[in-house]
Amino acid sequence: MVAIAKHEQDLRKGVLVLAVLSQLREEQYGYSLRQALAKRGLPIEEGTLYPLLRRLEAQGLLASQWKAENGPPRRYYSLNAIGAELYRELSASWASLATVMSQLLDGEKQ
Amino acid sequence: MKPDALIQSYVTEVVRHLPKRQRTDVGFELRSLLTEELRGRVGDNEPDTATTLELLAEFGRPADVADRYRPAGFTIIRPADAPRFAWISLGGVAVQWVITLIAAYTAPATGAGDDWLSRLGTWWLSAGLGAFWWPGLLVSLSIVAAVMAARRGGDAPEWTPRAAAALDRDRISRPLYVLAIAGALVGIAALVAAINLATLWPELPQPLLDAFVIDEAFLATRGPWAIVLWAATLASMIAVLVAGRWTRTTRLLAIVGNTLWVVLLVWWVAAGPIFAQPYADSVTRGCLLLVAAICLLDLVLTARHLRQGSPAPAV
Repeated sequence: MVAIAKHEQDLRKGVLVLAVLSQLREEQYGYSLRQALAKRGLPIEEGTLYPLLRRLEAQGLLASQWKAENGPPRRYYSLNAIGAELYRELSASWASLATVMSQLLDGEKQ
Repeated sequence: MKPDALIQSYVTEVVRHLPKRQRTDVGFELRSLLTEELRGRVGDNEPDTATTLELLAEFGRPADVADRYRPAGFTIIRPADAPRFAWISLGGVAVQWVITLIAAYTAPATGAGDDWLSRLGTWWLSAGLGAFWWPGLLVSLSIVAAVMAARRGGDAPEWTPRAAAALDRDRISRPLYVLAIAGALVGIAALVAAINLATLWPELPQPLLDAFVIDEAFLATRGPWAIVLWAATLASMIAVLVAGRWTRTTRLLAIVGNTLWVVLLVWWVAAGPIFAQPYADSVTRGCLLLVAAICLLDLVLTARHLRQGSPAPAV
């Protein structure tokens, strides 16, 4: 039997970083980011997303700071200059890839 | 247990697997996020133990979560090297076990109660378990290599055309091969000279001359076959040197040659004395068995090399 869920998971894994970067053009904390992605149709498991934020920060792509606005202290993340540059690069790659994939899949249908 | 306490226990377990400098920060954030997740799940209701446990179970095992927090990239043994590593580890342990088991069961009896089971027990508690120093050493060396590779980072050498050319394993280095042929000829000459020591240097001390006296029967029947095989081996080596690379024919010749050498050496050792002096004879037999083992190894490696390639798929 083909493990469809596994392949689908791998497919989503590939776009995860770009999806997260896209939402961090504005400052977000972990839970709000997950909600924002889920609202736009890309639910991500919390066990995957929260460590990913920390890893991206460790890679020097995100800036973060603790803030206590309207509630308990939360760590807010946003793109720094390197993260913003990476986001631009990846967006361009994604646009190109999406076009190619569309052509490939359209060709499949014809 | 109350939801808050459950989350706190879970977070404590996760951060326990993280580097100390990250624990406080990650722990505080993770607890805050899990609490928000839980509130998001229950809406306006009060969170209960069952929902909390469900959330934590979905989040994953604490050790796995901690792994996700760690940066990827530091690998002690790369997946590509794992099968070879396993074979080298297990092979080393197996060789030690075979050698030490043979020694344990061929040792003279020590008296009453010295049966096969007690010998097995003694062997297991000494050499049996002791053989695991080998995988331990390999892991330790792998850790050192991984740390050095991680420090080197992006400075790892690039794949160059020269490195790609090195993949042509059939090509030989002619100067080295000439040296190998010269070394073989010098070895043969030394051996012949050692056998004829009494004629060439009669002034040497008598015990030394006696040590190199060959058994008459060996010299008459088994010895001369070496000349035939030496000639065949040299011819084969010269063929490889002229071609500049190994071919299927020369590899097949090497396999046949190695097989004949193994047969000849085993025959020499098994069929009777080679040297007249018992001590010289026993040392020589041991050396010849070692040479036979090397020939056997070379035979296996050559056969494997010959088999390599991509066979056409069955259609």
